[in-house]
Amino acid sequence: MSTNLNAFVVADPNKCIGCKVCEVACSVAHTDKEFVTAGMIDTPLIAKLYLVKTLAVTMPVQCRQCENAPCAQVCPVAAITQINDRIVIDETDCIGCKTCLMVCPFGAIDIVPVYRDGEMVSQSTLKVKTAEGFVEKERVVASKCDLCAGRSTSPACVTACPEKALEMIVPKQEKKQRNVDAAVNLLNYVKKFVE
Amino acid sequence: MDEDIVRMTTADVARIIHIDQELCTGCQRCVAICPVDAIKGQKGQPQTICQERCVACGQCVQICSAYASIFDEDIAPREQKIAERGLLSSVKEPLFASYNCGDALKVKAALADSQLFTMVQCAPAVRVAIAEEFGLPWGSLVPGKIAAALRKLGCNRVYDTNFAADLTIMEEGSELIQRVTAGGTLPMFTSCCPAWVKYVEQTYPELIPHLSSCKSPQQMAGAIFKTYGTKVDRVEAERVFSISVMPCTCKKFECGRPEMDDSGYRDVDVVITTRELAQLIKDAEIDFLHLPEEEFDKPLGTYTGAASLFGVSGGVMEAALRTSYKLITRESIPEISIRSVRGGAGIRKASVKVGNWTLKVVVVSGLKNAKTVMEQIKAGKADFQFMEVMCCPAGCVSGGGQPKVLLPSDRPGAYVGRAANTYAHDENLRIRESHNNPDVQKLYKFFLGEPLGHESHHLLHTQYTSRK
Repeated sequence: MSTNLNAFVVADPNKCIGCKVCEVACSVAHTDKEFVTAGMIDTPLIAKLYLVKTLAVTMPVQCRQCENAPCAQVCPVAAITQINDRIVIDETDCIGCKTCLMVCPFGAIDIVPVYRDGEMVSQSTLKVKTAEGFVEKERVVASKCDLCAGRSTSPACVTACPEKALEMIVPKQEKKQRNVDAAVNLLNYVKKFVE
Repeated sequence: MDEDIVRMTTADVARIIHIDQELCTGCQRCVAICPVDAIKGQKGQPQTICQERCVACGQCVQICSAYASIFDEDIAPREQKIAERGLLSSVKEPLFASYNCGDALKVKAALADSQLFTMVQCAPAVRVAIAEEFGLPWGSLVPGKIAAALRKLGCNRVYDTNFAADLTIMEEGSELIQRVTAGGTLPMFTSCCPAWVKYVEQTYPELIPHLSSCKSPQQMAGAIFKTYGTKVDRVEAERVFSISVMPCTCKKFECGRPEMDDSGYRDVDVVITTRELAQLIKDAEIDFLHLPEEEFDKPLGTYTGAASLFGVSGGVMEAALRTSYKLITRESIPEISIRSVRGGAGIRKASVKVGNWTLKVVVVSGLKNAKTVMEQIKAGKADFQFMEVMCCPAGCVSGGGQPKVLLPSDRPGAYVGRAANTYAHDENLRIRESHNNPDVQKLYKFFLGEPLGHESHHLLHTQYTSRK
């Protein structure tokens, strides 16, 4: 069994100013075109992390890449699996049943429409009854942070944040660093006490 | 055609920049970037703009990243926001909290009106930026495609602001020499940037006499379109509809200034930004990337390398120096690329030897940097004769109406690319000094007479208003 824990991105609520650049960067990183200007974007921005604003706190929330991922446990079509060090949704298999959305403790999963080449993808069979008759229904899939799989650098949100409020946490490194910090702090405390 | 429908009115220009109260998250990055402290509000709450202080530079529009998400359920529908913002209904891009009111609908209506004779001008910074909206790399230089696209959109004459930039240099260079030799107010300030001009009017009205009396190239072009241009094209001035494409949101304010009607009509009828032109091209389903290159129309589309430099910080200075040198010494400047006025620093000082004397100049980029120099001038400590100020951080290439760079990390590279290709454009043009523009020479010979002459003064110069 692998002893590596999945990495995840988390925001520092003390630094986040709520500008939503992380959401923009995330959306852009996950489209099939290379967007650099606002004018090039021809589909809605669909981010895989969500800025939360309450009276008490402002920060984006995203997938924690849970080791015992509840979303994967409940997926009726086994569309959610662990690939390398991340929890991944296979959008082709996803049936949009929303069960994963219900069980995620962080609300890190949303059900989103699929766009290809600037056009919303429709379903071939399921139709919607409207005043104009039956029309095609858009295809929707579960969507969540995939740590920018395939990107050679750090996740787009981490790079884009002007306040450096987002950080990729690698649990083992984090734990070791915290141990080192604790030891140094203790040493300083003892020194002060002795002096 | 009903004038109120299409032409700019004073009511249009009173409020150009807005913050959508439903979308603003109160991150205050716009507050930090605003050069005149016009944006106010509590942290975490929607911000508001003080319209009197706002210089409409649109830097807040460029930096804002709070957008309308399809998951926001308690906000007004997209169609309603599109209408409020004056956008074409075909616009697909995301809507951000900070925005400028658009005028592409007015241009579309004018182009569809067969009674109107449309003359369009395109600013220098547009040609190094618009292609980004179609997926080309930062700063791609596409004057030929712009000319072709404007023609395809139905503009009767595809003229160019660059022609008027050369004209501005003739007037402004002559004015500088006159002030230096005959004892006028010095240092003289450039007056091409409308946000800078409004800033002087509202913050330092006592220094208004330092501003050059020259209109900006946009307004000079407009005044020439409806006078000389009507003779060239044998068309009645009242039928001429004057459109300008600008990298700048404040140009909308400038064109609506009450005094800008020296041609006997509104000199410029409507201003659209680089972004708005891209939207019009997409709306008309023109395949911009595959357009064969075309020329701007002559004579009011002929331009030199000096004119193209107006798009970058230090460019007006460099263009003016090339011509001032010639006017004073009767010889061409030995080193035509004046690198000492280029660069990215907020305040740059340089000395240029012109014949037997030395002209001292200052270039300011970014309106935030102007205050230090203005206070020195007020205190009588100015040791220079000419100052260029551009409101936007890298000059017009970084203007509020330029393609919106999505990620902060991309912004420096975008501006560097746009500036580099502006300089490349200058270097690759056969004529690089404004006074050598053959069609500007003809304009003086057959219509204006001479720089600072009676007709020039009437059409190309203006006065300013204290707003304190």
